Amino acid sequence: MEALEHFLPQVWFVILALFLFLYVMLDGFDLGVGILSLTSDDDDRRGILMTSLGNVWDANETWLVLMGGALFGAFPLAYGTILSALYIPIMGMVFGLIFRAVAFEFREHSNRKYFWNLAFGAGSFLASLGQGFALGSVLAGISVDEAGHFIGTTWDWLNWKSILVALTLIQGYVLIGSTYLIMKTDGELQTTHNRTAKIATLTTLIGAILITISTPVFYENTRSRLFHQPEIYIFALIPILGILLIWQLFRSLQRQEERAPFIWTILIFLLSFIGLGLIVFPYIIPTQITIYQAAASSSALVFMIIFIGFLIPIMLFYNVYQYIVFRGKVTEGHYGG
Amino acid sequence: MDLSNTVVLSRMQFALTAIFHMLWPVLTTGMGIYLVIVEGMWLKTRNPDYYLHARFWSKLYVLNFGIGVASGIPMEFQFGTNWAPFAEATGDFFGSILGFEASMAFMLEAGFLGIMLFGWERVHPVIHYFATIMVAFGANLSIFWILSANSWLQTPAGGEMVNGKFVVHDYFQAILNPFMAKSVLHMFFATLETSLFVIGGISAWYILKNRHQAFFSKSLKIALAAAVAVAPIQIYMGHLSAEQVYHYQPTKLAAMEARWETIPAGESGDWTVIALPNEKAQKNDWEIAIPKALGYILEFKPKLSEPVLGLKEWKPEDRPHMVGLIYYAFRIMSGIGFFLATLMLWSVLQWLRGKLGAENITQQRWLLRTWMFAAPLGYIAIEAGWIVRCVGRQPWTVYGQIRTVDAASHVPASNVLTSLTSFAVVYTILFISAMYFGSRIIRIGPNLNLPIPGIEDETAVDTTPAEFVPDQRPVEAQQ
Repeated sequence: MEALEHFLPQVWFVILALFLFLYVMLDGFDLGVGILSLTSDDDDRRGILMTSLGNVWDANETWLVLMGGALFGAFPLAYGTILSALYIPIMGMVFGLIFRAVAFEFREHSNRKYFWNLAFGAGSFLASLGQGFALGSVLAGISVDEAGHFIGTTWDWLNWKSILVALTLIQGYVLIGSTYLIMKTDGELQTTHNRTAKIATLTTLIGAILITISTPVFYENTRSRLFHQPEIYIFALIPILGILLIWQLFRSLQRQEERAPFIWTILIFLLSFIGLGLIVFPYIIPTQITIYQAAASSSALVFMIIFIGFLIPIMLFYNVYQYIVFRGKVTEGHYGG
Repeated sequence: MDLSNTVVLSRMQFALTAIFHMLWPVLTTGMGIYLVIVEGMWLKTRNPDYYLHARFWSKLYVLNFGIGVASGIPMEFQFGTNWAPFAEATGDFFGSILGFEASMAFMLEAGFLGIMLFGWERVHPVIHYFATIMVAFGANLSIFWILSANSWLQTPAGGEMVNGKFVVHDYFQAILNPFMAKSVLHMFFATLETSLFVIGGISAWYILKNRHQAFFSKSLKIALAAAVAVAPIQIYMGHLSAEQVYHYQPTKLAAMEARWETIPAGESGDWTVIALPNEKAQKNDWEIAIPKALGYILEFKPKLSEPVLGLKEWKPEDRPHMVGLIYYAFRIMSGIGFFLATLMLWSVLQWLRGKLGAENITQQRWLLRTWMFAAPLGYIAIEAGWIVRCVGRQPWTVYGQIRTVDAASHVPASNVLTSLTSFAVVYTILFISAMYFGSRIIRIGPNLNLPIPGIEDETAVDTTPAEFVPDQRPVEAQQ
């Protein structure tokens, strides 16, 4: 029983990490394309950008809904504490997602597309910003009492560390959005996004380096974890692998390859994710509340694994199938049925 | 209204977002079934009309779906942002159910929607039909999970409160809580009925406008044929739901009936048709009542076998407020239910008399106008029903277990006031835009020149047999 109470929260930590990773990867390129649409100056181009997402954006966003529900069920304490502590960034994200989602429908039917173009681009930016601040302030730490309830103030989430994470996440989304568009478009549009991908690679790299350096310098708790044998070898490996992957990404962009940049970007995301996971584990609110403290009862965790666990491969299957059905380049800016 | 009270503001915000959000999934769940029907008829008969129906109505479907998703996301996150103590206390059950809804229902709908909308030319018709079925199935499975979760708030079962946390002993008992089955069915038929009258109402508009009469008399008849069964069943489901409120939530029943004094078992009670409840004086200022009718309404017999408790049985802090709102919301809902059933009867009568044929349907102007008038009524009934259900549950979030005042997050009221105001503005924009673009889709009308999949000559839809299912029947029979 003891072992089970240790094991189940770990399983759910991994499942949630998977959901979060799938969300950040899939909606990441959605949001990135949205942010990039702000730089586009004509409507045909924006139409193509939106068409490249038209049939997948809602399925991609569903991973967030799923992540929210699963976090609520598996770690209710963390769900309540994190979300109430991050009231403003979460609401910002929610409003961003609202604007972005309805822009898909309304823009297509509208004659004056200006407002909905803006709603799509700015909504994507706002949602990414909210997520970045949420991630950044969870990593930076949330003040809680001994019962795990939030005791900080309204603007706790806003500090230079969370700003750094937020900006880096946005760069990362722009990067994955650019490499997605390289894959889905051709001609001038593809060339443009090859360029945006290169810029974003650079800015993401700068952000990642700053985060990597500042984390052990400014966070005592993390520092002692990072410089502990034998973990230090794993933590040293991650930046090295990261540099390697970024080098590969840059080369594939130079060679103007079509699919490779997207795949390298995904691997970079995956690596960063594993790094974050290792730093955070076993905490769910870093260095305050562990997954064991925040976990729902074992029976709830088992029950949820039975119902959700077996669905994960099925969900992955039909989501992949959908990408297969709609594979290929997007050439036309109309997605209405 | 106290704008410095976080609980009041959080309640208003939840009510506002729920009332707006509700408007859109209603159509996607009900119309999903309609789309399965017309696509099935297209596959079976190969009559291009059915294909064009599927294409036309799915435009409205996707508009509703997009706004439904957009307006639904805040619902989920509010449990954490605004109701953190609730989330912590009920996470074991309530959170799990939201996870099930996302993984089983919503993901299914979202995952197959792309294929349903844009996959006509990309996948085999059978796979396309499968996708349509999955979309409808996913949407309706959402009803099951959401209503199971909400019913559990009304009749928490399957566990107990231990140190302020709900510990589940039996998950199936919690999912299958006393309110669940009838609530799910009541909501299922509500969305279906609303969608049918929306489809019927829009069809009636086209017929009245002399646009595509033959085409839209078809959808009107499909809607009518389904409504024949749905409208009376829904009245019956409504009765069953009221009956379970009578047994499990006496405070809500008392508010629904604006009843202040208890009627003991074995007696008969009056049933008020209209009343003016006065919460301060704890009585109705005036009322029109039908003597001895209450027993017939609740139990189909003159004398009550159980007492009907009046609001005065509870201390003021233990009973729902806004009695007038609950009382009239209930009457609006049931009134609409009966109205729609009557409209259905009238239409069937005309159909049987042969007055709804493509050639003479335009003469039924009053009938068609009534269908148009009926199109928004289902929505009003659903909103009213949810007001009865959730305002009537107060002062409890989890009935008898967790009070609403104890369920709210301790966030500054100014935060909630800001988000509430933003929601009010944004949702108003959404609502106006949805009405505008929705009516625009309707004004533009169906594109009857769409190429029919599987038929090579795009213009002569009725000549070449389909590619996938060779039709051996004579040309006339294929129409």
